[in-house]
Amino acid sequence: MLQKKICMLGGFSVGKTSLVRRFVQSIFSETYLTTVGVKIDKKSVVLPDKTVDLILWDLAGEDDIGSFRVSYVRGATGLVLVVDGTRAATLAAALTLRERVEAEFGAMPFVLLFNKSDLVDKWVIPDSEIDDLRQRGWQVYLTSALTGEHVDDAFLQLATMVTK
Amino acid sequence: MVEIARNVDPDYRARFEAVPTADPRMETLRQLLVGREISELSRVTELLDEPAQLATAVGGVLPSAAAQAPHAQLGEALAPAVERAVQRSIQKSPRTLTDILYPVFLPAIRKSIGEKIDQTFQSLNETLRHIFTWHGLKWRVEAWRTGASFSEVVLKHSLVYRVEHVFLINRNSGLLIAHVTADNATSEDPQLISSMLSAIQDFVKDSFNEKEQSGLDTIRFGELRLWSEVGPLATLVAVIRGNPPEELHEIFRDVLLRIHDESSEVLEQFDGDTSQLFGIEARLQTCVELKQEDTNQGFPWLVLALVLLLLVPVGAWFFFSWQSGQRWQTYVSRLEAQPGIIVAEQKIRGGQFYVAGLRDPLAVDPQALLSGTEVDPARVHAQWQSYESLEPQFVLKRLTASLAPPDTVRLSVVKDRIVAEGEATDTWIEKARAAARQLSAGGPVFDVSGVRDVSPEARAAERWQAYVSRLETQPGIIVAEQKIRDGQFYVAGLRDPLAADPQSLLSGTEVDPARVHAQWQSYQSLEPRFVLKRLAASLAPPDTVRLSVVDDRIVAEGEATDTWIDNARAAARQLSAGGPVFDVSGVRDVSPEAREAERWQAYVSRLGRQPGIVVAEQRIRDGQFYIAGLRDPLGVDPQSLLLGTRLDPARVHAQWQFYQSLEPEFVLKRLTASLAPPDTVRLTIVKDRIVAEGEATATWINRARAAAQQLAADGVAMDVSQLQELNLAELNQLKAAIQGTDIFFYSGKALPGPEQTPVLDRLAEQLKEFAQGARKSGVTARFMLTGHSDATGRETANVSISAARAEAVRALLNKRGVAPELLLVRGAGTFEPVVPENSRTGSSTNRRVSVTVNLE
Repeated sequence: MLQKKICMLGGFSVGKTSLVRRFVQSIFSETYLTTVGVKIDKKSVVLPDKTVDLILWDLAGEDDIGSFRVSYVRGATGLVLVVDGTRAATLAAALTLRERVEAEFGAMPFVLLFNKSDLVDKWVIPDSEIDDLRQRGWQVYLTSALTGEHVDDAFLQLATMVTK
Repeated sequence: MVEIARNVDPDYRARFEAVPTADPRMETLRQLLVGREISELSRVTELLDEPAQLATAVGGVLPSAAAQAPHAQLGEALAPAVERAVQRSIQKSPRTLTDILYPVFLPAIRKSIGEKIDQTFQSLNETLRHIFTWHGLKWRVEAWRTGASFSEVVLKHSLVYRVEHVFLINRNSGLLIAHVTADNATSEDPQLISSMLSAIQDFVKDSFNEKEQSGLDTIRFGELRLWSEVGPLATLVAVIRGNPPEELHEIFRDVLLRIHDESSEVLEQFDGDTSQLFGIEARLQTCVELKQEDTNQGFPWLVLALVLLLLVPVGAWFFFSWQSGQRWQTYVSRLEAQPGIIVAEQKIRGGQFYVAGLRDPLAVDPQALLSGTEVDPARVHAQWQSYESLEPQFVLKRLTASLAPPDTVRLSVVKDRIVAEGEATDTWIEKARAAARQLSAGGPVFDVSGVRDVSPEARAAERWQAYVSRLETQPGIIVAEQKIRDGQFYVAGLRDPLAADPQSLLSGTEVDPARVHAQWQSYQSLEPRFVLKRLAASLAPPDTVRLSVVDDRIVAEGEATDTWIDNARAAARQLSAGGPVFDVSGVRDVSPEAREAERWQAYVSRLGRQPGIVVAEQRIRDGQFYIAGLRDPLGVDPQSLLLGTRLDPARVHAQWQFYQSLEPEFVLKRLTASLAPPDTVRLTIVKDRIVAEGEATATWINRARAAAQQLAADGVAMDVSQLQELNLAELNQLKAAIQGTDIFFYSGKALPGPEQTPVLDRLAEQLKEFAQGARKSGVTARFMLTGHSDATGRETANVSISAARAEAVRALLNKRGVAPELLLVRGAGTFEPVVPENSRTGSSTNRRVSVTVNLE
């Protein structure tokens, strides 16, 4: 059995929880998010040579970075950064969160998800900016909780990265 | 070079100290060649020579030097120095180190004490709970047997728990290292649970700013407890159902310690890959095997009940056999005390009682003695041999039986001797003496010397006395005097003629009647039975009356007529004082009911004869009279018929249904009421037919015919053929005359002028005549008086004056004898003028009262 702790980070209301809802195995209700500040789900990803269980720590979305419980990230081997493609500020929030985590626990693999890709009308992130990020070697995905687009790809990618 | 060497090495420098620096050129050359190095060297030398400066310099690089040193060597090099330093510090001032260690020790100590207290309380609670129970007893025995303390034993048995899950969780990432489950225990995904548990640990730690290393160690949820033991690399979390003892903490801690010992490297490098972890699960397995099942099946009531079931009969058996033994002994000693009974042998065997001995047949029956001793007669087996006891009382009994002494002789035991005293005939005395002689030796003496021989005279006197006393007991006989003189017997007294004949009583007394001289005065005995006889003779009660004597009172019971009762009451009053009471209250007077019934029947038959009354049912019950039937409302009222019958109306209950009788007279009555025939018509009954004869108006005749048709349907015949239509010609003339009459008025006057008086007089006469004629013909005539005015003046005034004129005429006609109910009044004002008029002058013709005739 191979398991990895993965933290999902993102600003308030970027759709982390709904993003994974359809793809994960969960026993805890979403009230944990508001009470304990974290909700734990499991996502089994089948790789060519093994199966890895991603233990997803869905941390409560925080716009106020100061109140972010960084201790929850201890022991994590990967991150899922989630950005709301209709709100530019959430990209900055996700990147700040990642910096906080790296400052505390060192660099770790991550995937960057631009969520709500189905809301084409309200999309505010220019493609050039996404290309820039990709140029840095980052794994960037445009996802939709509604259609489930690219979610599995992102998890597969992250699983490959953390088991290398 | 020497200078350089000197500067670099102090020893060398000392060696060359003596070498003079003689050549100034050399000096200059030296300055040119190595002047800079010399000054640098001198600065370094200065640095090394000055301890203060050297310390500053080394201090600057020491941390990085220590960091770069190989760990093991540095540790080894430092350890002795550190140890010595700590030792020195403690010796010098223990306080300092205590202050340093305080934050570390305090939580550890606190935790340890807390656990100890918990443990103590739990132990105390359990001990208290079980100290007085059945288990308590059992466990005391176990404690005594095993040498353990009682509380330990209590805890061992009472803490029922089961370790259901054990998680080993990576301290750093919260990832699950290993998980074992007890049989049958279920839970959600252990990976998620372990992560969440560590998240919660973090949450609590963060939330309450707790810096303690241990983390959350107990979570309790109902029956479930989560105990966690925190190690440096992994946390062991046990899920326990029930009530675990505190020692379990130690067991878990021990397991965790062993896991850390054995697999520290693997744990340290744990990156989520559990395939490398062998042996850890086996260790954890030992934890889930921990449990203390509740083997207690509850209080062993069944065993107790069985023991009781066994004990009760045994105890009862012992008690009852002891009790019956006691009773038997009481009975035997009672037997032994009995005269005429000798108990030779007695025993109890197998719950049965055996007794054997001798018994005089005259002695008390041993069986009878059993009653009241509560010894079961069925279990008594007695064997008695008969013998004749020589005890005086038994001899006395036997003598009494064989000699049959007369009443005048009394046998008694006096000092072991049997003594006969009194009077007896010579024959008896002789028999007694023979018996005395026959009494066996060794027995008591029978002394008959005390019995006097009675003479024949005495016997004769005895007989006389018997006769006299018999006489005295006779009712209606009073013995006043009696004596015996010279062999003659005299008796005198009073005797009721109804009493027994004294002479006849003599027979059978063996008294010679010839020697009896009696003198009886007659009297009326007041003894109830004599009075009764006399009353029966004088009153001659009917068969329904029974006379009897009850407690000296004469009681008459039954039924009789009031006459007889009156007689009996008179007789009761006449009974002289001192005599018995004659009670006639028990005789019921039969007459009133019979009389009332008779009256009722008379009333009913009278009702039955009444036309228009049909009696359907009648009866008398409990003194009440009931009658029901049909009754025509036109018939006589049954209530009114009660008058004079002397029946109590309050006791008569009548229920009458109304009906219309078809008897001709009722039909006639109804016809008379409904048709109201005029005087000229006569309705009669001729041979059950109703016949109408006479003259009537055509209207009335038509109504009569319609009625006849209806009656025919009911089966009643009515003959209307003899009715003739009334001739109204005369009346019609009169009517024309009346209607042609007007009473005239002066302008503005409500009363007619005096010249109208003859008109009014004539009109009054005509009206009365017409009314009479109409009445004869069976019709009612009514006359309408209509007042009129001329057209002068206001209309309202004209209307009221016209009405006033009509009223005035009515009053004047009334005064002249016309019945007021026949006169109707109205005011027409100016609306019905006779002649058209000039409204300014008015018309005297129009100021009038006119009359119209109506026949009803």
